[in-house]
Amino acid sequence: MVELKNVSVTYSTGVDALNHVNLRINDGDFAFVVGSSGAGKSTLIKLILKEIDATSGVVMVNDHNLTRLKRKKIPEFRRTIGFVFQDFRLIPSMTVYENIAFVLRVIDAPRKYIRKRVPYVISLVGLQEKANSYPNQLSGGEQQHVAIARALVNDPQLIIADEPTGNIDPELSYEIVELLKGINECGTTILMVTHEHDLVRHFGGRIININSGEIVFDEIIGGNNEA
Amino acid sequence: MKLSSMRYLNKQGLENIWKNRMMAFASFCVLLVSIMLVGIAVLLFMNLNSIIGGIENKNEVIVFLDPEITQEQTETVQSKLEQIDNIEDISFYSKEDAFDSLKESMADYAQVFDSLGNDNPLPDSFRIKIKDISLTEETVTLMNEIDNIYHIRAPYDFVNVLSEMRKIVSWVSVVVIIALSIVSMVIISNTTKASVFARRNEISIMKYVGATDAFIRIPFFVEGMVTGFAAGIVATIITWIGYDALVDLLTKEVNILNVIGVGSIIPFNDIAIKVAIIYVLAGGLIGALGSVISTRKHLDV
Repeated sequence: MVELKNVSVTYSTGVDALNHVNLRINDGDFAFVVGSSGAGKSTLIKLILKEIDATSGVVMVNDHNLTRLKRKKIPEFRRTIGFVFQDFRLIPSMTVYENIAFVLRVIDAPRKYIRKRVPYVISLVGLQEKANSYPNQLSGGEQQHVAIARALVNDPQLIIADEPTGNIDPELSYEIVELLKGINECGTTILMVTHEHDLVRHFGGRIININSGEIVFDEIIGGNNEA
Repeated sequence: MKLSSMRYLNKQGLENIWKNRMMAFASFCVLLVSIMLVGIAVLLFMNLNSIIGGIENKNEVIVFLDPEITQEQTETVQSKLEQIDNIEDISFYSKEDAFDSLKESMADYAQVFDSLGNDNPLPDSFRIKIKDISLTEETVTLMNEIDNIYHIRAPYDFVNVLSEMRKIVSWVSVVVIIALSIVSMVIISNTTKASVFARRNEISIMKYVGATDAFIRIPFFVEGMVTGFAAGIVATIITWIGYDALVDLLTKEVNILNVIGVGSIIPFNDIAIKVAIIYVLAGGLIGALGSVISTRKHLDV
């Protein structure tokens, strides 16, 4: 669950990135976050990842009060979240398998479990054949599938996808969102930032529109695919 | 952290050397050159010191005894001299020995000596080697308090020059070694920074998936340490070969050493193990700390 109570963020440059934002995303939700560049979407993501701190207000994520979370506790907190980034952010020196297994190694998971779990999530995203490939040997779409598998492997409560379709072919974008929707159906909360209105219109669901640091729209709409 | 995780991280560190071999090679070279630069400076100054020490060893304070001294009194003087701390070695030089060596060195004047017959005008003496020649004056003062001493001859000028030389060499060596160490550290820190900077994305990804700082740092630590060890080992080998070659050249081709005494040059074999241990430890430590410290800036994600 993500909850922002009266949260404002002002950068040291004086820019007000978020103004008194109130937001609640319940467990099991799937929400699109839309808005133009500089509207405050990235700030929202950074807040939820505890990459930055709120200037005022309270940020609660997965039962952690981020306003009070000590630096030492950040790794533990981040293990409850999976991330998918626009630029994939895979470790170039590791194979697909290693990139995904790394998340489990970080949490000291037993080797037996890693050997079972990693091939399973690789198969979920359909990349069994590429398990031993390096990121630079994969297409953008494939790399994003690996990133989703990595976000998933730890069985997180929440997955944050920041423009996950931004660097891949439009026709593959739908596949990525389908994949995320499928994960959501299994109970994982998903927050997807995008500026691709076609995608949002197609899938529908909860849409949160941020503009100039404020939430100007937060409603559930029906998607074209449901029509 | 579990043992299996430690094993994994160590393995990662070793694999990273190969995966980032260009940067690892750069770090290796910088460490190698730095270790050798400082190491060779230290060895040079150690030798200079040893050579000065060798020259110092040739110093001699001569204690001339009263001409009328008895055997018993001579022994008393000797035992009193032996009680002085700063004396390394005492040897008795009888007036007959002195007379013989004088005659030998002035063979052209044999007639003069012959005219003296058995009349030996030279006194008995003790030839004394001082431990710390900078304390010669104090030592001589102590000797002067002993009875039955006729005169003491000490090489004060020589002592002063050598003490000054040793002081200068010590200062210069400290300054040079500190300067070289600073230069080395700056170069090493820049190289490791560059090496870590090239992998800052990797570090930030690790942070995003919830890796602790230690988890991220251990492979860098292992990587830096192994690179440093390797640099230390290669530096030892190069220094060894270079040192022996130089000593060889100086003893065979150059005559300077015959003057100052070849014995004063420290043979590499005597210090090889020390040099190797210091080089390898310094390499490992600097390599490991360098890369760990450089990661710090990128861990704040």
